[in-house]
Amino acid sequence: MSSTAFGILKSGYVARNTLVHHLDGRTKFLFFLWISLFNYIFYDLYVTIASFAVVTLLAYVARIQRFVATVLLIIVLPILLLGVGIIGGPFGFAHNKTPIAAMQLFGLTIGLYLEGTVYVSVWTSRLAVTITAAILAYVTTHPSDLAAIMLKSRVPYKFAYAFLATIQLIPILTNEISTIYQAQVSRGLNVQTKLIDRFKSIVVLMIPLTLGAINQTQIRAIALESRGFSAPVKKVMLRDPKLKASDYSVMLIMILMTGVFIYLILTRGLVPFMVGIEYVRPGG
Amino acid sequence: MTSETKATGPTVVERPAGFAILQIVLIPVIAALNYVTGVIINILKLPLFMDTWATMFGTVVAGVWVGAAGGFLYNIIMAFTLWGLPAWVWGFINVYIAIITWVFWRIGWVTVKSPAKLVTAGILVGVTNVVPVTIISWGVFGLMPTYAGTAWIYAAVLASTNDTLSASVVSSIVAEIPDKLISLILAAVVASRMPARFTLRPPKA
Repeated sequence: MSSTAFGILKSGYVARNTLVHHLDGRTKFLFFLWISLFNYIFYDLYVTIASFAVVTLLAYVARIQRFVATVLLIIVLPILLLGVGIIGGPFGFAHNKTPIAAMQLFGLTIGLYLEGTVYVSVWTSRLAVTITAAILAYVTTHPSDLAAIMLKSRVPYKFAYAFLATIQLIPILTNEISTIYQAQVSRGLNVQTKLIDRFKSIVVLMIPLTLGAINQTQIRAIALESRGFSAPVKKVMLRDPKLKASDYSVMLIMILMTGVFIYLILTRGLVPFMVGIEYVRPGG
Repeated sequence: MTSETKATGPTVVERPAGFAILQIVLIPVIAALNYVTGVIINILKLPLFMDTWATMFGTVVAGVWVGAAGGFLYNIIMAFTLWGLPAWVWGFINVYIAIITWVFWRIGWVTVKSPAKLVTAGILVGVTNVVPVTIISWGVFGLMPTYAGTAWIYAAVLASTNDTLSASVVSSIVAEIPDKLISLILAAVVASRMPARFTLRPPKA
């Protein structure tokens, strides 16, 4: 995972004044779950591309399209290229029958096949849709709202604490590892060396980082206790997010589209629009 | 987050919360350590993931449920941010890693004092981990190659068997064994360097 991808979690909430930001966090997470579910039910490149167009448009509306593009380039593009090259290529994917492009080289047929390429495209499009929807929900929801939503959804407050504390700790520990790395380099750590020596370098970076984090754990535990974290009383929230008319509108659209999807499944199956492509199960 | 006092009677503390709260606070630390390991792997340009070593470490120093919860939380965070929803199921890998690490720790194999046992435990963790990895890869990634480091192995096995399942299993074995072996060694080494005053297990009665 590249440092650019880490930047997204380091930055966390992206403050903008957009329609997507004004939606309640529950609506956005519900949308994330909903679109992910239907993308994994259908085996149809047209459906996943249409879903991807919708989430990309929303990312553009929320003005986080750069974030989304960066993550997709880092995570999804390599999987797509690997998959098309191997499964869509001449490496023996059992369902490959229809060549898209082929050439003869030393008596061997080398090319791309329709079935394998579609298979990889469907699976990577599914990933692209769920990742974009996840980023959309995460970076447009304020962390305080996130905590309030979790507690309102009856998530145990200890889990809600752990979730939010992790999001806060990641940038802190990332900065600390940078400091530790610079200190170790100044003491002679060489990261441009043999593989075995680089493995040994993990230990000299991890020990100070981990012991520092454990030390802070004890301080954090005292601080939490001083605020009555484990006191057997009802917890109250500083923010109280409420569903608005725009949230109900989005939910209504999701309900209507669910009806459309169910109709498509009942009348046209799980491959409603792709013609001449069979449903391929993984490993099948 | 603030709290309001109960209207009825004084607060009664039924059991000491000291270690319980320490363990809860440790869960996000484990999740964040798993995450930050990615930064180090990136800096050192190593061909491994190593995003379960902190799960193993948490299990060794604070118990199986702390390691499992920290590892699972790491995957939840990743699923809700960078990996997309289906990736939350990788959390079960971390739960499995915590359980199997705890088993080996209980029988005394996760210790730097017995390198042979530690290496054997690491290899066994890697080999057995192939099963849940393959199940998840089937459901989430359609048994596609997702890791460039082992893609050539995947291609070679697929070319000789025409079977994506075999290709996925073999490439997982090649990736998982060194990854889990080095992760377990790292967890044992870091745990051995922890001062006694940082103990995270409640004292035995």
